[in-house]
Amino acid sequence: MKIKYLLPILASTGFIFATYTVISGSQPMPVAAAVVEPASAPFKAFIAGSGIIEAQSQNITVGTPLSGIASSVTVKVGDKVKAGQPLFYLDDREAKSAMAVKRADLAKAQAEVNVALANVNESQALSRLAEAVSDKRAISAEELLKRRNTVLVTKAQLDSAKAAVRQAEAGIADIQTTLDRMVVRAPVDGEVLQVNLRPGEFAQAGGLGTDLLILGNLEQLHIRVDIDENDAWRFDKNTKAVAYLRGNRDFKFDLQIAYVEPFVVPKKSLTGDSTERVDTRVLQALYRFDRKQSSVYVGQQMDVFIEAPEFATAHRAGNLTHTGG
Amino acid sequence: MNHIALKMLMGDKGKYLGIVMGLTFASLIMTQQPAIFVGLMARSYSFISDVGLPDIWVMDPKVQFIDDIKPMQDTELYRVRGISGVEWAMPLYKGMLKARLTDGTFQTCNVIGLDDTTLIGGPAVMLEGKLSDLRRSDGVIVDIDGAKDKLGKAAASPDGKNTPLKIGDSLELNDRRAIIVGIAKVTRTFQSQPVIYTTYSRAKAYAPRERRLLSFVVVKAKPGQNLDELTRRITATTGLAAYTQDGFKQLTYNYFLKNTGIPINFGITIALGFIVGTAIAGQTFYNFTLENLRQFGVLKAMGASNGTLLRMILLQAVLVGSIGYGMGVGIAALFGFLMRHTILAFKMPWQLLLFSGAGISLICIMAALISIMKVIRLEPAIVFKS
Repeated sequence: MKIKYLLPILASTGFIFATYTVISGSQPMPVAAAVVEPASAPFKAFIAGSGIIEAQSQNITVGTPLSGIASSVTVKVGDKVKAGQPLFYLDDREAKSAMAVKRADLAKAQAEVNVALANVNESQALSRLAEAVSDKRAISAEELLKRRNTVLVTKAQLDSAKAAVRQAEAGIADIQTTLDRMVVRAPVDGEVLQVNLRPGEFAQAGGLGTDLLILGNLEQLHIRVDIDENDAWRFDKNTKAVAYLRGNRDFKFDLQIAYVEPFVVPKKSLTGDSTERVDTRVLQALYRFDRKQSSVYVGQQMDVFIEAPEFATAHRAGNLTHTGG
Repeated sequence: MNHIALKMLMGDKGKYLGIVMGLTFASLIMTQQPAIFVGLMARSYSFISDVGLPDIWVMDPKVQFIDDIKPMQDTELYRVRGISGVEWAMPLYKGMLKARLTDGTFQTCNVIGLDDTTLIGGPAVMLEGKLSDLRRSDGVIVDIDGAKDKLGKAAASPDGKNTPLKIGDSLELNDRRAIIVGIAKVTRTFQSQPVIYTTYSRAKAYAPRERRLLSFVVVKAKPGQNLDELTRRITATTGLAAYTQDGFKQLTYNYFLKNTGIPINFGITIALGFIVGTAIAGQTFYNFTLENLRQFGVLKAMGASNGTLLRMILLQAVLVGSIGYGMGVGIAALFGFLMRHTILAFKMPWQLLLFSGAGISLICIMAALISIMKVIRLEPAIVFKS
């Protein structure tokens, strides 16, 4: 009687196999661990925001007062510059030739002063001669009057010629200013962060899409923290704040408040995209931090946590007074 | 007595096999069909299980299920991050984007954007490459099923197999270049579209221009936090919907239950399996009892009590029931095993074994009851008739 044993054996094998399927099928998919551990706030209640590092002086995008071709760029990225040090020169051939013209004008004007002076001397001599005649019959009254007037006219011509000299001198000063403006100098002491201008390129005056040259004072770095306007009422500038470097949460910085910009601005999403999208409005608070590691760079993003009262318990009126500038 | 019962049962091999086969098929249908159903439903939320790491999902309050993306503003991430009890909160982009393949065909893909720094939510099983390779410029990770099939390079002949994508191959997502840096194994999703993993900021670049692109904020609670309390706090503070991982699965699952015909279709099949199983097994078992009525009569005449006869019938029922059940679930499991590399959804949780077990028990009890009634009403004198 084979079937007597076969069927129960088949059945129990089937059941065991089904049980195995159940067990093996109920194994959950493994879960991928985070590639780097995310930063987490060391406070019980806090506001989180994204921060971007900038120089204390903010990042100065140096502009040019005049448009023109850059003839030479005298600084490199990373150079330390003093206030007043030239950064780049614009092509000044046109201004220089104008200067030569103006100098020639000055020389001409000065020559004309001499001519006018000679005329004055001559007329004065003639006038003195006429005045010296004691016998009024020897010279007509008309002649006398004419000679006196000639003195006055030549003196006026001399004044005019002197004014022309001053005008020519002012013209030279004007061209000189233009020449000075063609040398763009560092407005403050700082470090060159970025150079987007090379000799031969056209430097456009006015607001630009790309900045010609970025300058900043890196002795002290600031971090500009965006706080959502919905959280702004909980923000208190006197509470503790910490920032974590993205990518490695072991780089932790304690922050001290520098200042709060009292003007709430539309948030730029820090995607690095060429067209930044406006999401919401944010309060921007600036914090100082000790730059003990050299591994922080201007423009880098950080995760910032600012201690704040618990959402539920925060007293609205009490906190509003803190948020002002 | 039990021996006699077994003898009676197995005496006629044909009938015995008939009963067992009927029950086997009933058990098979009641296991295999729900297994496909459960597998299909599990796929609806498989993405949530795959992401795994976060405890809580935060989204727009109007989101109905996982693929129903209603993007939020980027700053919501920082609002969620600022809630006490939150260990970390990360952005997650999920969206359907069209990929253009090298041969020019288009394929809709499920694009997942992970937090740039931590890459939380990435695939756990990397077949080739590493998750951190996503940091490379234009890097994306595709799932193995997509790489082999839908995203594969078209074969030279129409019947030939597609050449799978390899590391270093490129795709075009919304006119932007994407380079494959890894191949991952992921659980299939309901729509079975190829899955493309990339970083959040890159996903935003791939996505069509929209003002809001943040699909989900995934949150890990600080240790010891009550998750339900934290979800309530997130909702109260931000006005967004927050679900625990299980809650979100439940939401997705319920959406599919309510809004697709899947439960009805499978419900009907399962009910038919049950009815057919009951009919075949019940009728065969009843016939078998009828034919053995004389033997029961003899036993009764010899003084066997109703209780003894009842026990005999129950023993027979339990025996055929368990053999049928065991073979049925075995065949169902074998079916699932053989189909494991295909697109078929098949999942057998332990509850399913109980379910089909209960079904078979019900069939056996019904069949046995009819037989028992017949035997109890039986007059021993019947043996001497005719």
